Amino acid sequence: MTIEVRNVCKSFGAYQALDNVSLTVADGELMALLGPSGSGKTTLLRIIAGLDQPDSGEVLIHGQDLSKQAVRDRRVGFVFQHYSLFKNMSVFENVAFGLRVRPRQQRPSDAEIKRRVDELLGLVQLDPFAARYPAQLSGGQRQRVALARALAIEPKVLLLDEPFGALDARVRKELRRWVRKLHKEINVTSVFVTHDQEEALELADRIAIMNLGEIEQVATPSEAYDRPATQFVSEFLGFANRLTCHVENGIARFGDFSLPTEFDNYAGDAVAYVRPHEIGLNRANGHDIARATIDSIVALGPTARVDLAYGEQRLEVLVDRERLTELGLVVGDPCAITITRAHVFRGT
Amino acid sequence: MDRRDRPALRDPRWARGAIFVGGIGFLVLFVVLPLATVAVEAFAKGFELYLHALNDPDTISAIQMTLTVAAIAVPLNCIFGVAAAWAFGKFEFRGKTILLSLIDLPFSVSPVIAGMVFLLVFGLQGWFGGWLREHHIKIVFALPGLVLATIFVTLPFVARELIPLMQEQGTEEEEAARMLGAGGFRIFWSITLPNIKWALLYGVLLCNARAMGEFGAVSVVSGHIRGLTNTLPLQVDILYNEYNMVAAFATASLLAGLALITLAAKSFLEWRYADQLALTRR
Repeated sequence: MTIEVRNVCKSFGAYQALDNVSLTVADGELMALLGPSGSGKTTLLRIIAGLDQPDSGEVLIHGQDLSKQAVRDRRVGFVFQHYSLFKNMSVFENVAFGLRVRPRQQRPSDAEIKRRVDELLGLVQLDPFAARYPAQLSGGQRQRVALARALAIEPKVLLLDEPFGALDARVRKELRRWVRKLHKEINVTSVFVTHDQEEALELADRIAIMNLGEIEQVATPSEAYDRPATQFVSEFLGFANRLTCHVENGIARFGDFSLPTEFDNYAGDAVAYVRPHEIGLNRANGHDIARATIDSIVALGPTARVDLAYGEQRLEVLVDRERLTELGLVVGDPCAITITRAHVFRGT
Repeated sequence: MDRRDRPALRDPRWARGAIFVGGIGFLVLFVVLPLATVAVEAFAKGFELYLHALNDPDTISAIQMTLTVAAIAVPLNCIFGVAAAWAFGKFEFRGKTILLSLIDLPFSVSPVIAGMVFLLVFGLQGWFGGWLREHHIKIVFALPGLVLATIFVTLPFVARELIPLMQEQGTEEEEAARMLGAGGFRIFWSITLPNIKWALLYGVLLCNARAMGEFGAVSVVSGHIRGLTNTLPLQVDILYNEYNMVAAFATASLLAGLALITLAAKSFLEWRYADQLALTRR
């Protein structure tokens, strides 16, 4: 089932939460909506779910406009940020709820419900906890109950709002891998909201990066990282050194550096983004293009973060620690630097 | 950690003593002593006279009246309270704050005024008085008036108890149920109601206690017709004014007994309810 969001606008009073947003999620795809808080990602998810109505625009699921259907007939699975399990029901009853509330003709028999719920609890590895109440479960377990409950209605699409937001780091990582595996198994078209880029990069087939109610870029994780479409994406996804430069004749000048750009007929201010691993480090030898001073070195496992002072500009560089030892550079040393790649955007 | 382990929080012995004696003394003087007086005075002339006083037809009628009024007013308030709390707790709309403070009005208005208002509206000389008489509907000086006055006075109890709880619980569980295909009534019955049941019971108990004990508003609309429109508090007042001390205190002891039963039930619920809250909030 595909999801198609067309020209959706939504405002809350004077605040424009979504500004003409369009997005297509392919059948079986796992899409992340990534953005800082207030970027409109949860609003978009709630509109896809039908929990909120857009001011204009439409949402098509498998070609059908669901806004004409009652929420109960849409078969959209939704996992809430805080799980929203039914406190007064056991795990079993939570998962069974979606089956029990069906109209009489469509409702499975008790035996069938039991079979289905048991199967789902097996899928989320919670079989021994069927009789427990939500308050007696850990965060990760609650999350899996919420997932099983959403899957019980055999959803056409699955929507998850900050699914791992409330979990501690270790559980989050485990659950992330597990969800990835689960998605491969059941292959239901899914969209999840997150502000954690690591989560988006690891889990999603594609990422929609949102800012101020607009989608800045939709791309695979590696594409978004390697070829950011906008300044915002460059800054938001991973860390990048931000260099203000001047463009003339298709060349951006920054200090001693000349960086190639795609602008043929543009002259004026520009901003270049350079990833920490896209700056080369060498011993100074007198024939360098550019020279900087080492301010600090922080060892991070196999790599080291080197902070440089290049004139007024601070630069953050990542190098292998082995390489650093080979070069024999220590804090206070001068060093030669090169820029292997930069993304240049017009403006300031 | 115990307070005693914290030197900064330790008060001098005399201060602790004074506060303790003051607090307990206050409680004894204003709560225990009057209650004890009621019991002592009721049984002052012996158990037999006590029973005899209660066996008076007017008193029995007053008991029936009080129970009838409570039996009508409390369920109605219960329904209204849940509906109001549902509206206030789960939805956003214009004028919400104004309506919320209106719910508190019966707490701030003197009950006597409430009674007068009903006289003014439904009394013989009132706005609807003529029409009501033509259609032979009696409201003031009859059961409907008593019920109306009682509902007015006890209006905030259930709603006030539920609104903060429902606001705090938010709407996510309801939304989850909706996404799973549940209809409005099913959501209310299986999700909302179970989440508020202890608070609801608690509110109903408080409402009931007040409904049975209400004097001011009821006094105005009842007309004090003996054996017909007198409730227990009114009966106590009448007996007392007739210097019939034993009967007055015997009847009062019944009222106090009802209050004590309510209190016991409330304490029990608080204990249960705290348990539930702890479980749901964990």
